[in-house]
Amino acid sequence: MNCEVCQLKELEVEHFEIREVLRCILHTIVFHRALGLVRPKDVDLELFEITYVQCGDVELEKKIDEKIDHFISWVEKHPNKKSQICLSFYEVKSKQPSWFTNKTERLYWEQWYVNLNVTQHPKHHSSKSHHTKLVVDPGESATEERSCRRAMVEASLREVLFQIIKFVNEKKDHVPPISEGVIYFPYEITIPSSSDSAFGMDMIKRMLHSGHPTMLS
Amino acid sequence: MEMDRESGKLEQIVSQFRSKILHVILDSRVPSLHHHHHQQQQESLSHSRVRKTDKWFNLVLGDRPPALENLNFSLRNLFDPMVIDIILVHRGSCSSSVDNLYSPSAPAAGPADETVIERWVVQYDCPRFIATPSGADASVSYKKIYKKSIILLRSLYTQMRLLPAYRIFKQLSSLSQTYNFDLVYKVSSFSHPFSREEESGMKEYIFAPVEALSGCLSVSVTYRATLSDFNLEPLVSLPPKIITDYVGSPTTDPMRSFPSSDKGAHATSFPLRGARPPSSSPFQRPHSWSSGFHRGFPSTKTQSLAGSPPVYRTSPKPYDIASPPTDLYGNRIQNQRVSTLQQVTAYDEYKSSPPFSPSASPSTPSYLSGTNPLLTRHCSETAPVTIPLPLTGRSTRYLSPNSSDPSRHSLPPLSPRSSKHDASSQESPSGIRSYRKIEALRAGESPSGLSNNYSAQKVVRDSKDDSGRFSALLSSSGSPRIGFSRSSSRLSFQDDMDDCEFSCPFDVDDVDVSDSSRYIPYSFFQSLCLYCFP
Repeated sequence: MNCEVCQLKELEVEHFEIREVLRCILHTIVFHRALGLVRPKDVDLELFEITYVQCGDVELEKKIDEKIDHFISWVEKHPNKKSQICLSFYEVKSKQPSWFTNKTERLYWEQWYVNLNVTQHPKHHSSKSHHTKLVVDPGESATEERSCRRAMVEASLREVLFQIIKFVNEKKDHVPPISEGVIYFPYEITIPSSSDSAFGMDMIKRMLHSGHPTMLS
Repeated sequence: MEMDRESGKLEQIVSQFRSKILHVILDSRVPSLHHHHHQQQQESLSHSRVRKTDKWFNLVLGDRPPALENLNFSLRNLFDPMVIDIILVHRGSCSSSVDNLYSPSAPAAGPADETVIERWVVQYDCPRFIATPSGADASVSYKKIYKKSIILLRSLYTQMRLLPAYRIFKQLSSLSQTYNFDLVYKVSSFSHPFSREEESGMKEYIFAPVEALSGCLSVSVTYRATLSDFNLEPLVSLPPKIITDYVGSPTTDPMRSFPSSDKGAHATSFPLRGARPPSSSPFQRPHSWSSGFHRGFPSTKTQSLAGSPPVYRTSPKPYDIASPPTDLYGNRIQNQRVSTLQQVTAYDEYKSSPPFSPSASPSTPSYLSGTNPLLTRHCSETAPVTIPLPLTGRSTRYLSPNSSDPSRHSLPPLSPRSSKHDASSQESPSGIRSYRKIEALRAGESPSGLSNNYSAQKVVRDSKDDSGRFSALLSSSGSPRIGFSRSSSRLSFQDDMDDCEFSCPFDVDDVDVSDSSRYIPYSFFQSLCLYCFP
């Protein structure tokens, strides 16, 4: 089975926007892969005028929030860096027991890459410096700039959501059959680890497991 | 045999898919149906029960609105497209000033504009050559189709929340304000093409079709990319204002003659919001129902098409048989079957006849022709009160409608409103009175007290005069409750009945217009104060 890969459009977000943006994107993806019986739950974002849908599973919500917390911690240690979060869906296949391993194998059939560029607001950055005078006069232009920027982020987020919808619509054949009693397919969220090289190795390992991925722009 | 069974399952999937999509769309676009569903969902959440209809496509949406059952029946030909138009009904800008209401120079409220802001088309196309898979393949085939349909429905559900119309729906669904617009819907098996001008502002999105061996299920949406062209605004509440120069005021010269009717000074209704009187142009509303939308239709015939969802669930169970629809007063409609099947073939646009006058054509309602009979009738239901006369050297007398005093100051007894007053009264737009959204959700309630008989009269009268309005209202809601399709920002017949106690605190329609003296019941002033200062 091919592993379908979707690279989502990069979003430039500020630190305080990370949580909402990631929740929106990750839950939207999972909702389209939670093919068991769900009671959809509409969630209105606070920072943007966007409503996304959760599949209503409390456990899932907790796990996603945990991963987002880890990611935010990583971002705080690696400011002003581009980062990628990978949401993968897999099937569990029992491997032939061998001398070295008796584990089950994960066959990844779909991977989503959420690309974020976390920036810091210039004013916020300058205010931290002890030797720099605090700029006290935002004025209308700063407010306008902020709202303009917010509108751009909202539009970009909307584009990403449409991208998800387009992908799930166009690629359906690779989705495994639905198991009775299962709400959503097994999934895995990978965030950058403390060292970038380790993150890269994780990705290479996954690619080797999943075979020849199809890259989508 | 096996083929027939598999083919039957596929038809079942397609049929249920259409119902589910309709449910999703209406639940996300029609505020009145959303309120109904939301209330039921609150109940079902507490009981944690999943209905049979919810199990289809593994998407729990709650109870289907009754209208869906009738629509399903009418659109049961699976190869007919199902076209769902979401229509924005927008009234012109309104004045927020009380003075303007009475001012002859104040412009009247513009006619309601209706614009299709979204069109959803669900189609199941039959290919020219139908491949017949073998037994095992057929079984796998319909399971795959079902899975793909689930995914399609998920993406549609998400997309509905991202389109511009959702924002309007959210605004209307909030109970905090009323607006000068509303969302209604129209379901039919075909669609009128958009004009070039309309098309220029629309975008289209076509969902990837679900291909089956015996057909192809496709969904597309054409939507307005932006709704900023519409002046969609909340209705501004009246600023509190004390009217000092009312008849009987100590400061008013009792011999003063008030302005004549053409200046609107003897407006018989008091708008609760700063709305403008309606224009004289007829209210054009699409008669949007597919022929299947008729309360008289029992929904039992749909049961043959429905069944249990496919293998992912437990043992198949029969589809719930919905109870027959009810009329406005909760009475089951037994004999209202209309030959809608004939209508399906005969008319380009499906029209439903109103429940009380099935023979009435869906004519343009007359209530916006410069008057608002419902509103003024409403006003006549207020109990008259006594008004103390100022001490002006004459003997103090009290106005009493029941007094045998032949004084011309006496208020006449309540009586049905004459048409003469209809033409002369200032009317507030129909949408104003449904300021209470909760009332819009109630059905079959009749006002208490003095109004009972009158409201019954009003119902009868309305059924004759406003049949078009009923049919249109019914067509957009599909609910047995009149006017249920609209949010409470719209006028609804139900709102009229519910609000009779205080929305229009008085009615002076029965006062002789030629009388130079104008009598405004004290109840008006009281109600004004109460309303302006809740």
